[in-house]
Amino acid sequence: MVQLTQNHPYITLRVKFKKVGSLQYISHLDLVRTMHKIVTRAKLPLWYTEGFNPKPKMIFAAPLSIGTESMCEYVDIRLIDDIDPAVAMARLNENMTDEMQALDAYYTETKPTELRWLSYRVTLNTLGASAALAKECGALLDSESILVEKKAKKGEEPKSFDIKPLIRSASVSYSDECAAILIDAVLSADASTFLNPEYVVKALRKYVGVLSSPDLTAESWSIMRLEAFREDMTEFR
Amino acid sequence: MSNETLLEKYSSVLKSVEKPGRYIGGEYNRVMKNVDEVKCRFAFCFPDTYEIGMSNLGVRILYDVLNSDKDIWCERAYAPWMDMKAKMEEYGIPLTAVESGDALDKFDFVAFSLQYELCYTTALAMIKLAGFPLWAKDRGEDCPILIAGGPCVYNAEPIAEFFDIINIGEGEEVLLEICHLYNEMKDNGSYSREAFLRAASHIEGVYIPSLYEVSYNEDGTLKPYRPIYDDVPSVIRKRIIKDMDNAPYPTKLIMPYVETVHDRITLEVYRGCIRGCRFCQAGMVYRPIREKSPDTLCNAAKCLYENTGYDEISLISLSISDYSEIRELTDKLLSWTDQAHVSLSLPSLRIDSFSEELMEKISSVRTGGLTFAPEAGTQRLRDVINKNVTEDDLMNAVNIAFRGGKSSVKLYFMNGLPTERDEDIVGIADLAGKVVGQYYKMPKSERPRGVSVTISVACFIPKPFTPFQWEKQATFEELVEKQALLKSSITDRRIRYNYHDAESSVIEAVLARGDRRIAPAIALAVEEGAMLDAWDEYFDFERWMSVFERCGIDYTYYTSRGFGIDEVLPWDIIDCGVTKEYLKRERSRAYLGVTTPSCKEHCNGCGANKLGGKNKWCN
Repeated sequence: MVQLTQNHPYITLRVKFKKVGSLQYISHLDLVRTMHKIVTRAKLPLWYTEGFNPKPKMIFAAPLSIGTESMCEYVDIRLIDDIDPAVAMARLNENMTDEMQALDAYYTETKPTELRWLSYRVTLNTLGASAALAKECGALLDSESILVEKKAKKGEEPKSFDIKPLIRSASVSYSDECAAILIDAVLSADASTFLNPEYVVKALRKYVGVLSSPDLTAESWSIMRLEAFREDMTEFR
Repeated sequence: MSNETLLEKYSSVLKSVEKPGRYIGGEYNRVMKNVDEVKCRFAFCFPDTYEIGMSNLGVRILYDVLNSDKDIWCERAYAPWMDMKAKMEEYGIPLTAVESGDALDKFDFVAFSLQYELCYTTALAMIKLAGFPLWAKDRGEDCPILIAGGPCVYNAEPIAEFFDIINIGEGEEVLLEICHLYNEMKDNGSYSREAFLRAASHIEGVYIPSLYEVSYNEDGTLKPYRPIYDDVPSVIRKRIIKDMDNAPYPTKLIMPYVETVHDRITLEVYRGCIRGCRFCQAGMVYRPIREKSPDTLCNAAKCLYENTGYDEISLISLSISDYSEIRELTDKLLSWTDQAHVSLSLPSLRIDSFSEELMEKISSVRTGGLTFAPEAGTQRLRDVINKNVTEDDLMNAVNIAFRGGKSSVKLYFMNGLPTERDEDIVGIADLAGKVVGQYYKMPKSERPRGVSVTISVACFIPKPFTPFQWEKQATFEELVEKQALLKSSITDRRIRYNYHDAESSVIEAVLARGDRRIAPAIALAVEEGAMLDAWDEYFDFERWMSVFERCGIDYTYYTSRGFGIDEVLPWDIIDCGVTKEYLKRERSRAYLGVTTPSCKEHCNGCGANKLGGKNKWCN
């Protein structure tokens, strides 16, 4: 582990945490603001940025978009004192609600950019969910290219892009018990080629016709981020 | 319905609306209780969005007060944004409380904090979304008791008939007394809606609108209200907290996930005001002044910092520099805040108090822009409104700001003040020009940037319980003319001019000054979809004109007519502390252009000292 010196005035604590349930509706920006307050309340020995307006330094790996839950969020927090990670984790958890809790904490020297792949479980409670429909969904995800429209910025024409190269693997099944189609997919998490799992839902909507009811209480879907991997598919740590 | 249902059954709805984070609750520091273990469920509603409502200090205080009682569970509810409102109507989703997710009909009390008149339609729309009858007289035994409070209810008449109880004055004690009475009557079996409201009318600070007979003279003016029963008070006296050092103050704040308007620690330094600006309702109705000690405040600040993790503390009051121990307080706070990377901010700084010392201490001043409020463009008019600041004060303040490295300032003014003439309006432009001039008096080396002066001009509204309460409001056409004159008087490109829309100021005046006869128009507007009138995008002047016309209301009766000095006023049913004699005296002095010194200099006999309250100045 890095020793604290003048050249290394801080060490980096990586915290893996979940963000589930209603917190899927909290944006990344709001999460960042919330985390500042959590680490302050938890009285972690924070390192502050220098300059006019000092702030604790935190780096989040792979921002989560609204509507996606997660069991594997990561934040790197710079500390000026190497307190026991277990103690830090306990203090953080006292200062968070049930839907956001630290699952692991450790000192690290690796970069958050090493996170390359993320696995997701997508649950589609669509009308007409069946094993046959699941098969159709599987067939789509197996096809050679899957074009979907990118969210257009203001004043821009919407562009299509191929999500297929960004899907490392995808398997589809039908759950009788939940009357839902389940998709387990590993998607690119690289900053430049990040694939939001919502595009998978969007493609299935467009080509297979799932979730097409205009009645918003008739159907629902959920997305849960499950695990993070390095380039070689070993666990990101 | 529980939170789970909202999140599960309606998850597709949540995913289809803007900023769903404002509907989910689940915040750190919120209070959860077991429904079976409380006697009384209280829903505190804020008739605006979550982001606005969560910033309100009064709600924070009262939430804490009510929840400190083990028999009461106080939850919160906010107005949905229009997109969510449409979905709620489409799918029959009722308005729910944030903590439990339960629909409001599960509650014993549903209370609204009315902070500005343009929120009335939002409050009524929320009552409708909750499924309650709009008019109090139509509510049955099973319906929760609806309460209104907040600064607007000093004239509650336009909305009085929509509520069962109106809380006049500070709510910390009154709301608890109301709940205790309710619990007691439920326990001993004497409760009925009627019996409860009658008994509640005996609590000081409680106004039960249904217990009065309201009638009018042939010329349309009001007759004095008559209580229906002998035991019902003929005037309702405002309640205050007498000892602020021992008043309850939250030690925890609910931590919103989404960014709110005032997302910081707010420290209430004192209540009331010593100044007596003649247009200012808050300065009159919050009297008498009652300060907290620096020790009380510093302890509260530290505790709140530890329980919230906020990095900013805002010192709240009507005029912070009038706090008699401002230096002790800021020094005490700065002894730990700098080290904890917590910044202090002081809104509401008076021009005549701005000093280099304050500028150095206050980081918000160091980093943000600076705002001053001369309110009027000439000394004559500033004397009429009793602002008690001079052009020299302003030049001195902006000089300090410019020399401290600032290059932009914002100035607040009002149009349409009593006795205003064209020269006063042109005076605003002149004053802004002189501020620009101050900047260029500095040597060139000290002004690396160009200067920018923004003038922001509101339309004067003669508010109840001010010396100007009898005044007429300038007509819509006059206000527009005044705005045009000011616009044409500004020739300097370094001066930016913002002004309040005259249309909403006219409606605000009707709602602030109206009597019970305008209630049907408000109800009609709500029936036709009015909500969030405080938001420009949803304020609909044409609809207001239309509902007034259809309800047979000449709105100018309440605005540009003015009230006769001996006329019964809609708010005469309320005693807010200051006497009518004092207000009349101040009005005469205004017309003579004579200023009145602050309470610090000597007592002007406003009458609010009869309410008691510990302070240094009142006898």
